[in-house]
Amino acid sequence: MLRHRPRLLGGLLLTAALVVSGGVSHAAPEDALMPLEKYTTLKGKSLASAHRTRLLQFSEEIYNCMPWLAVYPAGLGFRPPRDSQDDDRYLSTWIYVDQREDAVFAALPQERRVSAMFSRYGVDMLRRMSALADVVDDSDVAGLSVVLSWLKPGTSRPGRQAVNETFSLFVDKATLRDFLAKRVSAEEFTNRAKFALFDGQNAVGRVPIEVWEDSFNSTYKATNVIPPKGAVCP
Amino acid sequence: MRAWLSLGLFFGGVVMLTSACATSEEWSDWRGHKTHFASGTHGFFSLRNNRDGSNPRVSRTDVDAARQENWWGKAITVSPEQIFQN
Repeated sequence: MLRHRPRLLGGLLLTAALVVSGGVSHAAPEDALMPLEKYTTLKGKSLASAHRTRLLQFSEEIYNCMPWLAVYPAGLGFRPPRDSQDDDRYLSTWIYVDQREDAVFAALPQERRVSAMFSRYGVDMLRRMSALADVVDDSDVAGLSVVLSWLKPGTSRPGRQAVNETFSLFVDKATLRDFLAKRVSAEEFTNRAKFALFDGQNAVGRVPIEVWEDSFNSTYKATNVIPPKGAVCP
Repeated sequence: MRAWLSLGLFFGGVVMLTSACATSEEWSDWRGHKTHFASGTHGFFSLRNNRDGSNPRVSRTDVDAARQENWWGKAITVSPEQIFQN
């Protein structure tokens, strides 16, 4: 029967496709949390388990209130830096900044792009993370970490695989607290923090960065995006 | 010959200075413009602009779906193992 009703067949296939795609995860708030089974030490597992509810709330806040950002799947958790000898756990969030090609941004040298991204998004995310007092005050949390990825200008051409630039930063709790309270200068903050830049998968290493005040992420409202039902944005 | 060389150096210097100024201007523009991304460079903004210029509101799920199609997992990105341990 369907053979003679191509429109009906097409409709059924479309419906099936929509049903299937509806089941695909779109990096929902839960997906942002690093799964418990991925932690390799008891300390990591304990932290993740103890603070799961709080991290989920934090993930929901980003998802609901900052649609221009996305947390990478499993990008939120307690992880040590790659070169750490001890099991120092940093509360870490890996954010993708959803930004298309932009001529002005593209004209900036790479270290300026890093400075701009970190000043605009990195500092605000660290401020929000440091406000999770019950998590940050846990004695097993050594510090905080923010990782930012964005589209490298000029790489999203048709027929080419786009490249992301990624900046990762780790800082101890006391330095961050003092920096946010303006007791430590931006220069001193960058001196004390461990950070690195990656161009695609290539490690660029430590680049000279500047940090300044930028209120965009804390003040901007995406009025044309309807937040999910029940979402409360401060 | 020497005159040509001097002239060449002069114009080369002018070009370098001009380009440096342009970069500096662009930089201060980007840095000073606090709502820069609201002008349309955010990926999710392209969702809401119809061809007729109207701005329908979109759901958070629409943003997710567009993101999945555009970039999620497709661009070359550093692996988590290059940054963290588990």
